[in-house]
Amino acid sequence: MSDDNKLVAEARTQFGKGAARKIRAAGKIPAVIYGHGTEPQHVTLPGHEVALIIRKANAILDLDISGKSQLALVKDVQKDPVRQIIEHLDLIVVRKGEKVIVDIPVHLEGESAPGTSVNLDATTISIEVEATHIPERVVVSIEGLEEGTHITAAEVELPSGSTLVSDPELLVVGITGEVAADLGEEEESAGETEGAAEDAAAEESAE
Amino acid sequence: MLIPRKVKHRKQHHPGRSGQATGGTKVSFGEFGIQAMTPAYVTNRQIEAARIAMTRHIKRGGKVWINIYPDRPLTKKPAETRMGSGKGSPEWWVANVKPGRVLFELSGVDETIAREALTRAIHKLPLKARIIKREEGDA
Repeated sequence: MSDDNKLVAEARTQFGKGAARKIRAAGKIPAVIYGHGTEPQHVTLPGHEVALIIRKANAILDLDISGKSQLALVKDVQKDPVRQIIEHLDLIVVRKGEKVIVDIPVHLEGESAPGTSVNLDATTISIEVEATHIPERVVVSIEGLEEGTHITAAEVELPSGSTLVSDPELLVVGITGEVAADLGEEEESAGETEGAAEDAAAEESAE
Repeated sequence: MLIPRKVKHRKQHHPGRSGQATGGTKVSFGEFGIQAMTPAYVTNRQIEAARIAMTRHIKRGGKVWINIYPDRPLTKKPAETRMGSGKGSPEWWVANVKPGRVLFELSGVDETIAREALTRAIHKLPLKARIIKREEGDA
């Protein structure tokens, strides 16, 4: 966690969609902080700064809520799928030195053997790690791997101080031979399929 | 071509076109995806044309996912027919796509090739769309 993650949060007193829309119109983001048996705190965060911080997975925010410092982990982000605006954040209270379970993105490095295809089956793996030292990603090297190679979660090299929570047998990367893509040159087969569908429809109507 | 094997009702009402997609709005399987920006009925022919355009460009190596399925029938009355006499016969199979929906995903190729392939696929679709990349930060 870097010092760049320091943010000033304002406590929220008004709730509901009207108040939330006013907050968003002012370039801020409504958020809620909970966890460790504490009462949920409703806050407002600066929009642009938060958007930059949460580009990285599992960002830790160092919040200043009315003069009181509070560490929080981003648990959920509600985003508008079309406008890509952050609508709301769920933050979970964390303490220094505390261990948390987080999903870390898997990043592939290198190139597999020629004529093979790489399938990244698990894009994230769950690990238990100290809250203030969450790694950005786990790097898996696929350099020169041959067809039929499988890398499971247990084989992934984890950063020091972290333990695997995901199933050790979870397939992370699989190397397969290149499958010839169907380029759709068979016009006849398409016609046949259509005919089959008409038959199916007729069959259904009979029922 | 994608067609349901069996349907409960051959002739259905037109699918609703209002609102945004509530699910399937993120790239979940591949690395890049096509996200719809406008609503549309995408026919099975258009899905197939887009898939072929994409796979022909990437040639070998990549993997393509189709995230939509044309499970809604649209009907049409024959030309020069008077109104009435019941609903027309099924003519197209469409996927009801709403803004925000990720239609196709792609992985296993360079970013430049992937973007060109997806652009070619977008040209085959009856909607405005953009190319999106998988995000790490979505907790």
